Amino acid sequence: MIHAVDVRVRNDVSDIGIVRDILDSLAREFHIPLEALTQLQVALDEVVSNVIKYSWDDGEQHEFLVRITVRPDRVDLEIFDDGREFDPMTAPSPNHAPEGQRHRPGGLGIRMIKELVDHFSYERIDGRNHTTLSKTCKVGTAIQK
Amino acid sequence: MNALSIVQTRAGDVCIVTLSGRIDSTNANDVKDELTRLISSGEKSILVDLGAVRYLTSAAFRALLVATHEADHQAANFALCSLGGQVRELFEMGGLLEVFAIHNSREEALKQLGGSVLRAP
Repeated sequence: MIHAVDVRVRNDVSDIGIVRDILDSLAREFHIPLEALTQLQVALDEVVSNVIKYSWDDGEQHEFLVRITVRPDRVDLEIFDDGREFDPMTAPSPNHAPEGQRHRPGGLGIRMIKELVDHFSYERIDGRNHTTLSKTCKVGTAIQK
Repeated sequence: MNALSIVQTRAGDVCIVTLSGRIDSTNANDVKDELTRLISSGEKSILVDLGAVRYLTSAAFRALLVATHEADHQAANFALCSLGGQVRELFEMGGLLEVFAIHNSREEALKQLGGSVLRAP
C-alpha cells in the first residue's frame, strides 16, 4: 500500500495550514503514530515556511508542490519549487554564523529537521529545488469508508 | 485540541500566559505580538505556561526569543514553565533549553518570580 497526495501551495504562510490539515487527515486515516505525526508536522512547517520565505523575492504569487506519500514503513514529504537555488544541507548551525553576518535562512529550523526525520536530502533538478524528508514509522492500513 | 489558544491570568504581580494547541509559522506572530504587548504595557513578571502546547516550531522559538530580548530591555522577568515531553525534546533539538528561564511547574515558577505573591490572600 502506497498512498500519495499532491498539494499545491502558494507562497503565502496561511497556506501552510492547508497542507498541515491534509497531513493530519492522512494520519487519522492511516493510523500514523502521534509522536511521528508531531515530528512530521514540525519538519513540514520548517521546510515549507523556508520555501515560502526565501525562494522568491519578487513580491509575486508563486505556487509549489508538496507531495505526502504514506508507505507501510515510513512517510515521505517532498517539496518541489522553482525558486532560487538553496541547499538546506549546507546551512550552518544558527549558533555558528560568522560574527557580524546575518544568519542564513532557516538555520534553527534546518537543525531541527535533521533531528526530527530519518532522511533529509536536496537536489537541484532542471532549475527546480527538490527537497525530501522521510520519517520511519509503522503505518496502519486505511480505514474502510 | 489543535488551534492556538492564548489565555491570560494573574497571580499577584505575575502575569501568566497559558498557551495551548500548536504554535507554528501560521500563528507564531500572534504569540509574539501578545507577549511584546504585555511587556510594553509595563508587566514586570511574565510566565508563559506551555503545558498544553502540542508542539512548536522554530517560528515559535523566534517569537519567544523576541519576547525574552524585549523583557531584558524593559528589565522585566520572563520565564517559561511546564514543558511536556515532546515540547521539551523540541527545545533540546533547537539547543534552547539553556537560552530561556525554564521551570518544571507553574508553582515552582511562581515561587521564583513572586514568592510574596503566593502569600497574598
